[in-house]
Amino acid sequence: MKRIEVRLSVSVVAPLLDVIREMANSLSENLAVPLQIDDLDEVMREAWVEDLQREQNADLDFLLGLFDEEFFRDGVIQLDEETADRVIRASAAVRLRLRSERLPDIDESMLESGDVAMNELPESRRNVFLCYIFLATLQELIIQHLEMGESKS
Amino acid sequence: MIGVESRTSTAPELATETETRLAGLWHVIVINDPVNLMSYVVMVLRKIFGFDDTKARKHMLEVHEDGRSIVWSGEREPAEAYANTLHQWHLSAVLERDETD
Repeated sequence: MKRIEVRLSVSVVAPLLDVIREMANSLSENLAVPLQIDDLDEVMREAWVEDLQREQNADLDFLLGLFDEEFFRDGVIQLDEETADRVIRASAAVRLRLRSERLPDIDESMLESGDVAMNELPESRRNVFLCYIFLATLQELIIQHLEMGESKS
Repeated sequence: MIGVESRTSTAPELATETETRLAGLWHVIVINDPVNLMSYVVMVLRKIFGFDDTKARKHMLEVHEDGRSIVWSGEREPAEAYANTLHQWHLSAVLERDETD
């Protein structure tokens, strides 16, 4: 099984963890993407939402669990293919929530390019935006690792 | 006895109604969102549908530029399963019945 090791700056990541925790709490009873399938029967819909919510919460718990004592000592997170999937899914969920809850007024093209004037953002929102960018970077890194492993095998 | 008779007469009707409603060809459609990365969408489409990189990129660009892309078509039950998996990966998906017949 492929192993992925990602080295991160503890001093950059540490202040963002509160933002991730806040979003994880806000997602604990809400799906990041509401179900849009209208004609499911009620029993099926409930079962789907329950399963999706359980999976989403497990992914978020895993993501938060990465930043443990070992991480604060070494600045490294270690993943395999399955846990890599969990981290990129959880990152997607948090980013979707950040966008809808904390960054709804920022222009889409600015968010996509990351070209946001940090000094124009109120201080309380700087970490929110940094967190949004950090999780995207983490996703990109993991996806690149997975693709590299694929092309080697 | 009356209750039993009542149930046996309505259940097949309900079943037939549901079967008719869900019969035919269904499309699984991925809807654009302003958050998920292009590389992420490509990876998810490859994982779920087994697309090669070229096909996954084509669908991703369709989602990005047109706002939606039909990624799979077929019977209702597997279409639901695909939509569920797309939701696990936080991609917005809807099911639409093919109305071209």
